[in-house]
Amino acid sequence: MTNKNGKIPEKDDNYTNNINRNNDRSLDRRGFMKTLAGAAGVFAVASLPWGTLAAKELMGLADKEYPHKKIVDIKDIAVGESVEFHFPSDHDSAVLIRLEENKYVAYQNACTHLRCPVYWVKEQKEMVCPCHHGKFDVNTGAPTAGPPRRPLPEIVVHQEDEAIFAVRVKRYEA
Amino acid sequence: MKRSYLGVIILCLILAMNIVFTQLIVHQYYHENYQNVLIYMGINIILFPIAILVYKKEKNKGGS
Repeated sequence: MTNKNGKIPEKDDNYTNNINRNNDRSLDRRGFMKTLAGAAGVFAVASLPWGTLAAKELMGLADKEYPHKKIVDIKDIAVGESVEFHFPSDHDSAVLIRLEENKYVAYQNACTHLRCPVYWVKEQKEMVCPCHHGKFDVNTGAPTAGPPRRPLPEIVVHQEDEAIFAVRVKRYEA
Repeated sequence: MKRSYLGVIILCLILAMNIVFTQLIVHQYYHENYQNVLIYMGINIILFPIAILVYKKEKNKGGS
């Protein structure tokens, strides 16, 4: 027992209080409070990057207009089919679904629960996240079942020259 | 000797608030309410010195 917390006080060092378990004094009231104060520090530091990103967005440094990007030729996607693409950056996977002859919807398909990729299931007419069986409404992107609480970000698409283009990412309505 | 658990209780409450505000930060960020993100971040940061203060005040109170 060399460290400060492991030392047995003199009043306890007798035949009734001589239980000597490892670390039995390291998480006493004071040690517990120290841990809690440290945890508060961890939370303070952890919230800094979110604030930085938010400040960046507020100052308009993050450009919301992306160059239009061609997703797929119309002849290559049948009604009820889906195609995966990336928008706005190569790391943001997204899915385009052709619902009717002239109705296309596109969403960023990272599940709003834990960012698993969400798939379009043609037979169920639903978007399903395989990780925890989250489901999304295909018309609005709103979550209908499972753990996700936020809607999928919708991508505005534009039809031009027999092809579908991604224009921009819609803001959340909520 | 009488123990003082006031500090433990206050620090537990601070930690609970930290967790709540951190979750709110993430949600508000994805809802693009960036002002709210900054407000909650401010609260989270201010809670840290408060926690340190409470610890300093309470560490020598009570037993052990």
